[in-house]
Amino acid sequence: MDKISVELTVNRKKYKIKVEPDERLLDTLRERLNFTGVKEGCSIGECGACTVILDGKAVNSCMVYTFQVDSSEVITVKGLEIDGKLDPLQRAFIDYQAVQCGFCTPGMLISARALLNQNPNPNREEIKTAIEGNLCRCTGYKQIIKAIESVVKKDRSE
Amino acid sequence: MKKQSKDVKNRPTSSGRDSKEYFRPKSKKELKEILKNNDILTIIAGGTDLLVSNYQKLYKIDKWLDLDLIDEFKEVKIFDDKIEIGSMVTHDRLVRLEKIKELFPILHSAALDLGSPQIRSRGTIGGNIVTSSPAGDLLPPLLVYDAEVVIISDQEERKVDLNTFFTGPKKNVLKEGEILEKIVIPLKKDKSRGVWKKVGKRKALVISSISLALNIVFDKDNIIKKAKMAIGSAAPVPLRIKSAEEILIGQSLDSIDYIKVAKAAAKQISPIDDIRGTAEYRISVAKNITKSALKEVTK
Repeated sequence: MDKISVELTVNRKKYKIKVEPDERLLDTLRERLNFTGVKEGCSIGECGACTVILDGKAVNSCMVYTFQVDSSEVITVKGLEIDGKLDPLQRAFIDYQAVQCGFCTPGMLISARALLNQNPNPNREEIKTAIEGNLCRCTGYKQIIKAIESVVKKDRSE
Repeated sequence: MKKQSKDVKNRPTSSGRDSKEYFRPKSKKELKEILKNNDILTIIAGGTDLLVSNYQKLYKIDKWLDLDLIDEFKEVKIFDDKIEIGSMVTHDRLVRLEKIKELFPILHSAALDLGSPQIRSRGTIGGNIVTSSPAGDLLPPLLVYDAEVVIISDQEERKVDLNTFFTGPKKNVLKEGEILEKIVIPLKKDKSRGVWKKVGKRKALVISSISLALNIVFDKDNIIKKAKMAIGSAAPVPLRIKSAEEILIGQSLDSIDYIKVAKAAAKQISPIDDIRGTAEYRISVAKNITKSALKEVTK
């Protein structure tokens, strides 16, 4: 097979790469571009550990081929931090102890960020729906939901 | 996903960034050209089923056809008597379309129950139909709304009633070189009331153990004029429950014999034992959700 040229933006930086058609976005991000904050859990779209924001939408990077994201923009957990400043969600996850083993955390943060970008003022049900595709096997959902809610409330009071 | 085999030597030299092994047509016209000149194409829509089945790379894919750049396949058109939904419309978009929520509430609810936000961002209505799983979430609602699908090949175009589209688990009437272009749902004058039920082990990311779509039209005296019911995950294909529909028609709101309808539904399905439930369990749940759906719709 001949390799396919793909241009994509990851965390606001442009990359030009050549991939085989069956290379997943997850593998491109982790193995090729070293964004290892993107985690591989189930590999079949059930756990959400590999969630990234692709052109504004939360997607499982294990369910997208890299050749399909030509000219697209990807945000991983690493891209949430800008110029050394944590995303308010990251700060809240620390403050509310929403991290136990940490494996689901990158995906949770990304799903929450995708939600807040589209809907800055979600209610608890909307928050739950936004993270329904992210499994936390330490079952720390309560703290995670509280952390996300705290960011919403802060935005509201500002 | 559909494979086609045809021995053809001529391939288009280029089309955007296409190569000899993968194609990303930007229009229906380009797509037809590719279909004409290529054999054994693996078709990718949203990829949420394909990447699961291809995860272990157990079979070799020689040629890829990605439909994602065809804007014509992403259109939603509303006419006086019908609505046309392009096959590449994602579940997420379906959920956000106010017109769908207003006119086809069960389809809206089923799309919202499907997978997770991540899956809904990528997965498409066309992919849900073509994968043809008996558990496909959008399929019972589309059946009760009398949906038809428009299928194209490089040569021709045909329309198929969704009731005759599915032929078995993950099997359908698509032939080699055929692509699902759009879904057509008739808009009816009668006001209807619908219910969508999905039973599974948890709310999100679940393949249903059983699902049910019910749509009922009452006349002005609250007599059931029309009734459509479909059940998923309980037979080799998503199934219209015509025996139950026949019992319902002509009944008045307060005289529906719930048990009789539920028994008819249970009789028509042919579930199997699998990881998501035994056949016995499914028959029992089919009766119960039929009853609760009827109670909800007549409330």
